Amino acid sequence: MKESVTTYLEGQLVNEDVEFTLVELCRASGASEQEVTLWVAEGAFEPRGAGPQAWRFSGAALRRVRTAQHLAQDLEINPPGIALVLDLLDEIDALRANPRRARSR
Amino acid sequence: MKYKDYYAILGLARSATQDDIKRAYRKLARKYHPDVSKHADAEDRFKEVGEAYEVLKDPEKRTAYDRMGSGWQAGEDFQPPPNWDEGFEFSGRGGDTGADVNLDDFFEAMFGHARGAHRRHAASAAMGGQDHHAKVLIDLEDAYRGAQRSISLQMPVVDAQGNVTLQSRTLNVTIPKGVKAGQHLRLVGQGGPAAGDGAAGDLYLEIGFREHPRYRVDGRDVSLDLPVAPWEAALGAQIKVPTPDGTVEMTVPRGSAGGRRLRLKGKGIPGKPPGDLYVVLTIVLPPADSERAAAAYDVMRQAFHFDPRAHFYG
Repeated sequence: MKESVTTYLEGQLVNEDVEFTLVELCRASGASEQEVTLWVAEGAFEPRGAGPQAWRFSGAALRRVRTAQHLAQDLEINPPGIALVLDLLDEIDALRANPRRARSR
Repeated sequence: MKYKDYYAILGLARSATQDDIKRAYRKLARKYHPDVSKHADAEDRFKEVGEAYEVLKDPEKRTAYDRMGSGWQAGEDFQPPPNWDEGFEFSGRGGDTGADVNLDDFFEAMFGHARGAHRRHAASAAMGGQDHHAKVLIDLEDAYRGAQRSISLQMPVVDAQGNVTLQSRTLNVTIPKGVKAGQHLRLVGQGGPAAGDGAAGDLYLEIGFREHPRYRVDGRDVSLDLPVAPWEAALGAQIKVPTPDGTVEMTVPRGSAGGRRLRLKGKGIPGKPPGDLYVVLTIVLPPADSERAAAAYDVMRQAFHFDPRAHFYG
């Protein structure tokens, strides 16, 4: 390869088509299996499949798990609190994207 | 090296109790937490607050910090008094804030050797290298078309002596078309190096969009405010609308009210299915700044028996 040629890395897009097992999700996010299991029990995440062994998480869960983990660690928020914060953050994002629509509701 | 006033950062007097310190930290950590806050400098403030707390919450470090005296001004050039830390055996046991403490000169110089297991790290990477994470901001246009970008990353590296330095590297990355904010791009093998024979970790880039003066983004849907004249809204019009992927012609239907949302199907961020582009009509009134203009408003007043507050007082 010549030095003047720039190669660009092709990443894998973690989108809704990507599925994580519990172990994969924990590795990618840095959260512990125990934490994620507690958040699932609170309804903060809704994996397909019955039971932790069979769970399949959507790729979109990665960002939420990262957020959840930061909040749990930095602010010592317990699982019900995490579930609430994630819901509220979703709502805030939606309001920001469509302020006018939200006002007329 | 600049002196840092950790008490001032937390908004506390030097006489603050440990409870005061914890309370002040929690309050500021919530306010500036980068996952929650939309303050422009949230990330920096959060790190600063975390660093202050890291020192003040630990009675050992707090005492050592207090020993340096209170006569310093924040930002003042600072040399620690000789042997300031004499007799302090930093146990290195850390707090559990996990605040991603900034690798600040001042903090490093004073407490660098006393830190260790405070940083966030990936859980189960026993054999292979750790997975790393970084955030990357791209333009909305890049999501429409795909792009190639050079991204510079800084990574703290701990050397054999336990000193931490920032290492930067540049990655050339292909941004795939159709990426949404909050999605991750996984770069296999670009994370932490493995210990021994394990595979290197992966690097996850979290994609975000730079603020755009015109467009707002919600998932794959994009919306923008389109200024229209009152007569365009009332009588209908053909208007050129800018989109992140070029200009399109759009019909404003006759009798549109201000705030009406018109959907351009499939003109959002590409994907399966693609998002939509929402055009929100904003009626802009021409100023009555000449006699002719004022007369025109007066003609309108006489032409309409219009009471905008007809149902207002009900």
